[in-house]
Amino acid sequence: MLSKKSLLDIESLDLEDIKLILSNTDSFLEISKREVKKVPTLRGKTVFNLFFEVSTRTKTSFEIAAKRLSADIINFSAAASSIRKGESVVDTLKTILSMKVDIIIIRHSDSGTARMIDGFVNVPVINAGDGKHQHPTQALLDLYTIKKRFGDFKGLKVAIVGDFIDSRVARSDISLFEKMGMDITIVSPTMFLPEDFSELKVRYQIDDVIEDCDILYMLRMQFERQDRKFYPSIMEYNRFLGLDMERLKRMKQGSIVMHPGPVNRGIEISDEVMDVGGKLAERVVIEEQVTYGVAVRMAILYLILG
Amino acid sequence: MVKEKNILIKGGRVIDPEKRKESVVDIFIKDGIVEKIDKNIGTAGGGTEVIDAAGLVVSPGFVDMHVHLRDPGFEDEETVESGALAAVKGGITTVACMPNTNPPIDSEHAVKYIMEKSHDVACRVLPVAAMTKGQKGRSITEMGLLSQAGAVGFSDDGKCVADARLMYEVMRYSIQFGLPLILHEEDLRMSECGLVHEGKYSTILGLEGISRLSDDLMIARDIMLAQRSEAKIHITHLSTAGGVEMIGKAKKKGIDITCDVTPHHLFFDDSVLTTFNTNFKVKPPIRSSEDREALVEGVKSGVIDAVASDHAPHLDTEKNTTFKEAEFGTIGLETLFSASFTKLCLKENMSLPELIALITCGPAKILNIDAGKIEKGKTANITIIDNEAEKSIKREDFISKSKNSAFIGQMLSGKIVYTISKGKLAYINR
Amino acid sequence: MEKTQILSENDIDRVVKRISHEILERNKGSESLVFIGVQKRGVPLANRIAENIGKFERTSLKTGKLDIAFYRDDIGKNLKPGVQITDIPFDIEGKNVILVDDVLYTGRTVRAALDAIIDFGRPRSIQLVVLIDRGHRELPIRADYVGKNLPTSRSEAVEVRLKETDDVDSVTLVKNKE
Repeated sequence: MLSKKSLLDIESLDLEDIKLILSNTDSFLEISKREVKKVPTLRGKTVFNLFFEVSTRTKTSFEIAAKRLSADIINFSAAASSIRKGESVVDTLKTILSMKVDIIIIRHSDSGTARMIDGFVNVPVINAGDGKHQHPTQALLDLYTIKKRFGDFKGLKVAIVGDFIDSRVARSDISLFEKMGMDITIVSPTMFLPEDFSELKVRYQIDDVIEDCDILYMLRMQFERQDRKFYPSIMEYNRFLGLDMERLKRMKQGSIVMHPGPVNRGIEISDEVMDVGGKLAERVVIEEQVTYGVAVRMAILYLILG
Repeated sequence: MVKEKNILIKGGRVIDPEKRKESVVDIFIKDGIVEKIDKNIGTAGGGTEVIDAAGLVVSPGFVDMHVHLRDPGFEDEETVESGALAAVKGGITTVACMPNTNPPIDSEHAVKYIMEKSHDVACRVLPVAAMTKGQKGRSITEMGLLSQAGAVGFSDDGKCVADARLMYEVMRYSIQFGLPLILHEEDLRMSECGLVHEGKYSTILGLEGISRLSDDLMIARDIMLAQRSEAKIHITHLSTAGGVEMIGKAKKKGIDITCDVTPHHLFFDDSVLTTFNTNFKVKPPIRSSEDREALVEGVKSGVIDAVASDHAPHLDTEKNTTFKEAEFGTIGLETLFSASFTKLCLKENMSLPELIALITCGPAKILNIDAGKIEKGKTANITIIDNEAEKSIKREDFISKSKNSAFIGQMLSGKIVYTISKGKLAYINR
Repeated sequence: MEKTQILSENDIDRVVKRISHEILERNKGSESLVFIGVQKRGVPLANRIAENIGKFERTSLKTGKLDIAFYRDDIGKNLKPGVQITDIPFDIEGKNVILVDDVLYTGRTVRAALDAIIDFGRPRSIQLVVLIDRGHRELPIRADYVGKNLPTSRSEAVEVRLKETDDVDSVTLVKNKE
């Protein structure tokens, strides 16, 4: 069992919890390789996917995880425009609670919403991404991916590249990787860094880290959702922060490229790299992350509800 | 390949502006490169052009870091070619040109356009790229790509970025590329409709005034933003006493800030406006005698790091009209030295090496370029001056395409006799 | 606490040999046999039996490991004793599965194992081997091959130790003093 009832952020997980999740994931990964990818563990339990923000990957991943554990899953999508903020979240919750669900998985565009909901309900809550704050299950599947490739974490050099200030994935990854003793550098243009970043190790260009890092974690760069960040152009991004074939080839032996998905082809990662074959393809573990994501989420559901 | 003629400059007062020293030595230039600097170099064979520089001042070629070449887009007013010719007439061998052209220099190919043109013209032309796209003050240009393409700095000159948040992000972003932000300081709301300095004369003459606050507010803002962001900023064409004071204080605090002043802001004060001569209509405006004195003090004390012309060509049609309708600006390449020399050395007793520093190593250091010195092994960019010669400036004297000079009718000392640019003789006026 | 040894190392050895022969007899040879040991001590037992039979028949037999943690019916009611691996690297379709566990008690572990095995495919039969049958069935489950029948009371515990997991071979009955 995990030390807390809900999984809201990385900070509240202790090392024992993390180890438990990782070791259980091994077993759930094995189940996903069987012919019958199902175990009856959570039969009769009802999982509620409460997604206020559009998401296909994470929602589907949780859905598959719940179904492989034989749980029932209800999907609730609230298009942002049809719901007024704050008030309606609470109303929605009241309706859900009266339906007697066993666990709520929440994604919302405002930071802190998972905690708000956790305070409101008496069933466990899993944070599937709250605004810019945290995305703990993503970080855990990232950690598992690293474990499968490297075995041990201590001293591994991680470079997280992209829009840092808007990324809940970055925040969760940094919390978790630091707990496990990894060495983190953030590579980000100044527009996406906080005013004071003296507590972080920061670089402005990907070439500064490309030959040195063990793990290159590329963040999704969204040019549409800028809200006054002023980043110049895609071409500038490609030149200074993008991963292309030339840079992929310069990475050191045994290093890997990760991405939380979905990838903006031609922006943070070039088409060539995404379609690369042969030996170099082993470096890019993005698809493995998705596979491990289901297993990690199965482990988390099992440890919370089992 | 046609070989350049070798040149021997004999017996001139060679100025070392960095060391603020002068000495009488000869300079031998072989194939465009400075080969030897020494006393009494004998002639090195035939085919050498010998310049008798006895009694003349020999200086590194001047660097004018604020010039509008109007190319592309306004080729009637000036072009890169015609501007370069005007520059070497003024003894200038390196020019930094501003991006407010049409289209503006805010893209890689626009920067490359200037870089390529620079190869073929009389002097070296270095592009300053725009800070914001289209200089609209709304989004940041691809500063990384532009710096890789050859830009030596960034500026929205002609305009000022009103959005403080954007200006702050520009400053933060600029640091990693190591290029200065050249800032035209004007609060566009304060200066709206203004034509001249807001003071005694604007009132008497019935002309709308531009308050000092327009400059000073923005200087104060940008100093604060620079302090927080640790960006490298350069305030250009300073016009107020307040500006000198604030920059002086900022330098003491260790903020990475430099500034320049134009010859016309040092030379004139707003009393010249009584003739309604539109060549005195400039931005920022020519201000009061107190401001002028403060600017001169600023130059003498070292707060002001450089003199730059803000060469702003305009067609006669744009200037020969009512004061209100006339365009802002005066040309300045051909009078950069003579106007500054006449004012600072002759009227204000500044030493010649100090003056030369303001138009050679001073701006070269700000732009971080290899220029403004006479160095063995480097391409020869040398200006030879007769500082005793005096001339009354006439409109016909100018070779720039535009003739809107504020110095027409003035008696200026200091004549450019020879300009050696890119290793060859580019201008002779003996 | 009172401990009584029920089976010594030699006893366990004899039992394994005897059961191996019984299996061969009943199944008329080893051709259709596959072995699945229930984690964790069922696994070494299954391996020993498979090895024995392999020696007699001069062949090698397939063995697999099964962890039943996800099939338990008492989920949420007790602490997880740590999940071990499930690895069944062969097809069970149409085979006679020999399911091996150390102790048969309430029958719930075997029920869970049956559920798990069915998820892997449709065997021809499942036959149950246990080292100790201690009684107290709560479900209608019986073993096909039993090492030793050991009537116990609920307050007693049966400790099985095997060299592969515990450095020694023994079965001990532990009585808790009232």
